[in-house]
Amino acid sequence: MVNPPILVLVLAGARSDRLHALGRLRTASALPYGGKYRVIDFALSNCVHSGLYRIGVLTQYAPLSLHGHIGIGRAWDLDRRDGGVRLLPAYARQRGTNWYRGTADALVQNRNVIEDAQARHILVLSGDLVAKINFGPILDRHEQRGAALTIVTVPAPSGPGEWRRPVLSEPGGRVTSIPDRAADTGAPVSSSVLLFRARELRARLERADVGPDLMRDVVEPMLAEGQPVYAHPFDGYWRQIASVDAYYEASMELLAPYPALNLHDPDWLIFTPSEDRAPAIVTGGGDPAGSLMAHGCRLEGTVRRSILFPGVHVAPGAVVEDSIVMHDTRVLEGARVARAIVDKEVRIGEGASVGGGEGPPNRDYPEDLASGLAVIGKGAEVPAGGRVGANTLVDIGARETDFPALELGAGSVVRARGGRRS
Amino acid sequence: MTAAVTYAMILAGGLGSRLCLLSEKRAKPAVPFGGKYRIIDFTLSNAVNSGIFDIGILTQYRPLSLRDHIAMGRPWDLDRKRGGVELLQPFQGWRENDWYRGTADAVWQNWLQVEERGAEHLLVLSGDHVYRMDYRPLVEAHLARGAEATVATFEVPREQASAFGVVRVDGAGWITGFLEKPKDPPSGRISMGVYVFHCGVLREALEKDARRTSAHDFGKDILPALVERGRVLAYPVPGYWQDIGTLDSYYQANLDLLSPEPAFPLEDPRWPIFTPSTENPPARLGPRAQVRASIVTHGTIVHGTVERSILFPGVVVEEGAVVRDSIVMGDSWIGPRAVLDRAILDKRVHVGRGAVVGRGDLATPNRVCPEHLSSGITIVGKHARIPEGIAIGRNARIAPDLTEEDFPGGDVPSGEALERPGGIPAHAATSA
Repeated sequence: MVNPPILVLVLAGARSDRLHALGRLRTASALPYGGKYRVIDFALSNCVHSGLYRIGVLTQYAPLSLHGHIGIGRAWDLDRRDGGVRLLPAYARQRGTNWYRGTADALVQNRNVIEDAQARHILVLSGDLVAKINFGPILDRHEQRGAALTIVTVPAPSGPGEWRRPVLSEPGGRVTSIPDRAADTGAPVSSSVLLFRARELRARLERADVGPDLMRDVVEPMLAEGQPVYAHPFDGYWRQIASVDAYYEASMELLAPYPALNLHDPDWLIFTPSEDRAPAIVTGGGDPAGSLMAHGCRLEGTVRRSILFPGVHVAPGAVVEDSIVMHDTRVLEGARVARAIVDKEVRIGEGASVGGGEGPPNRDYPEDLASGLAVIGKGAEVPAGGRVGANTLVDIGARETDFPALELGAGSVVRARGGRRS
Repeated sequence: MTAAVTYAMILAGGLGSRLCLLSEKRAKPAVPFGGKYRIIDFTLSNAVNSGIFDIGILTQYRPLSLRDHIAMGRPWDLDRKRGGVELLQPFQGWRENDWYRGTADAVWQNWLQVEERGAEHLLVLSGDHVYRMDYRPLVEAHLARGAEATVATFEVPREQASAFGVVRVDGAGWITGFLEKPKDPPSGRISMGVYVFHCGVLREALEKDARRTSAHDFGKDILPALVERGRVLAYPVPGYWQDIGTLDSYYQANLDLLSPEPAFPLEDPRWPIFTPSTENPPARLGPRAQVRASIVTHGTIVHGTVERSILFPGVVVEEGAVVRDSIVMGDSWIGPRAVLDRAILDKRVHVGRGAVVGRGDLATPNRVCPEHLSSGITIVGKHARIPEGIAIGRNARIAPDLTEEDFPGGDVPSGEALERPGGIPAHAATSA
C-alpha cells in the first residue's frame, strides 16, 4: 500500500495490573497466546496482511520480552528497507525526561516519528487485541467518507469489569457522542482501533494543552469541535486481553470444534518467530484430546482441553485439564493441573494438585480472581504433594519454602520472599 | 573450529534409488525425516554446531527441493557475508567441466572453491546420515597425528557391514585397508562418510583419479589409494549414526524416534537440529482425538486415532480414521474412517474416506522393486489421490500424482506397483 501511505502505531507499553502474575514481567501485548504466539502477533500480522508495512510499536513497561520477540521484524517480513517495524520506547531528552504519561502523551513524544512518516493516515491500535481484522476496507471507507477519525467499534462485551464507554452514532455512521456514564445502552464500543487522518491528529498533538489520554484528550475534543468522526462496526473475532478471565476465555475459545478464531486459515496466518524445537512427542496412553500442542512438548501423562506451549513436559501419571501451560513448564509424576494458567518454567512437584474445584474469590484480588482459575507465576515451584485451590495466585519465582502450608485453600496467595512480588 | 579447517563440502548429489518413490523427485538428503526435518539438516546442524560456517553442498540429482530447503541458509545462521552455504551444481566451463561422474569428481570439479579459501585441510561430509557429531575433536586428532586423511568410523553388527565401506585398522589407529561394500566384511567397523583431508594430498589424488577410468568415488577409489600411502587415520565415533540408505532403514530410523528413551532424541538443547520452520499454528487435537507414541508437528489436525506414527506439518486425520505405524508427510489428508497401517505417504497425498492403505499378506514383495519393498511397508507417492473405500495391500507402491481414475480396478493387491498411465502431469515437475 504505497498510496496513501499509512503509519501504524501499536500501543504496547501499558502495564496490565489486572493480569497480576501474568503481567508483571511483560505487558499484555507480550503475553504468550494460543500455544506459540504472543498477543501482539495479531496486531502485526493483521497489518502485514492488510498491506501496512510501516509500523511503530510503543513500549514502556517491562519491554524486554517484547523487544526480543519483535527484533527487526523478520517473522512478519517487516525487516524492510522502506518502512518496517520500529520499537519506540520512551527515552530521555535534553529538556525534560518523561515516561509516557498516557496514550496521547506517548504519541506526543513520538511526534517526530509521525512527522517523518509523512503519512496521510495514522492507524493507532492497542497491542493487546486478539483479532483478525483486515484494515483495508476500513481504510477505504475512511477515505471515502473524508473522516478525520474512524473509530472501529465492536459489540459491547458482557461480563463483570467489562463495561466500556458506548460509541453512539447516527445511522450513517457519524459519531454523535461517547458518553462516559450511561447505563447499558447496548451500543457498540471502541475496539481500541482508531484511524486518524494525519493532518488532524498532528494538529491536535501539537497543541500545548493536549492531555495525556487519547480518548479524553484527543478523540473527545475532535468530536466536540464537530470534526467528521465515524464509527466503523467490526463484527469479526475480537478480544481484548485485559484481565485473567479475558485471557483464559480467549484462549479456551481456540479449543472449540469450530473455533471462531481459525489459526489454520491459510490466507490469514498469524506470524511469529518460530523456536528451534523438535516436534512434539506423545508417548503415553493419555490422549491429548481437545488441545493445542506446540513443538518441543513431551506428553507422557494425560492432557485434555488444554493449550501447551513449546517444551512443556507432562510426566507419566500427571493430568492436565482445561489449562494453559506455558514454555518449558514441567508437570511431574502424578501431579494434577485443572483450570489453571501456568506461566513459563514452572515446576509442579510430584503428586501436587493445582486448581480445580470451587471456593471463595482470591483474598487480595477478589474482583479479578473469582472465576475459579489458579494462576502460577513464571518460574514458581509447587512442592510435591502440595495442593493449590481455585482462585489462588502463586507469585513469580515462589519457591517451595514460600508455601505457608502444603495445602492451600481456595483464594490463597503465595508470595515469593525476597523475590519479586506479584 | 580449529583454524586449520574452516570449509566443509557436503556430498548430496546421489540418486537414492533404494528409497524408492521418496527420492524419485528429490535428492536423498532432501527426503523429509522425523516430523519436520530433511535428512541433510543433521549434517548441516552438526557443521554449524561445530563452528563451521562455510559450506559447499555438491548436488546433481534433482536439486530443486534441496535448493528451496536451504535457500540462503538462514535457519543454520549460514546467511553470512563471509562464508555461508552454497549449492555447487555441475556447470559448463571452458575446460573439463561436465556432469559429476562420482563423488570424487564432484569435489574435483569444484576444486577452485577449496583453492580460493587457501585452506590446508578440508572436511568432506555426506548429506544422508542421521547423527549428532562434533567435528572438532575429529579435526584435532587429524592434526595431532599428522594424518593425510582421517576417516570417522562407526561400529555396526558385522553382518550389516557389507552395505558400507569397511576399514581395517592397525593397533595405532592407522587404516591398513579400505573395502567398499565387501561381500564378506572382516569386521563391523565402517566408514561414516565423514572425512578430513590434507588438501595437498587430496588434490594430488583427485587429479590422478580424474585421468583414470574409475568410479570417481571417495569410497571406491580415493580412500583405497590414500590408504596405500599409510597415513590415513581411523577416528572411532560412539553413539548413534544411521545411514538412510534403504526404505527399511528410513522407516526404522523414523520409528526409533518414538521409543520412550530414543537412542537419538530430536530434542537436545546442547546440540539443536536446525531446519526452516513452517508458518503453522500448534498441532490441534480434536475432542475425540487419540494419539499414542507419536510425533505430531505444528499445523496438524487430528480428529481420529494416531498410534506409533509420525505426522508432518499440515497433516489432517479426520474423524474415525486410524493411522498406525506410519509416516505421513506434509499436508496429506486422511479421510474419515480411512486406515493407514505401515504406510509411508509422501506429501499432499489424499486418502479418500474409508480407504485402507496397508492390508493383507506380508509375504508378497513388490513386483517392481522386490529388493527394497518386501517388509510390509506400503508407499504412496507425492500428490496421489486414493479413491474412497478401496483397499491397498502391503508392499505396494502407488506412483505420485495418480488420481482416482487411475484405480479402475478398485483394490490394489499386495506387492502391486501402480504406475502413472501416461506422461508426467504438469504439476509433477515442481520441486518436492
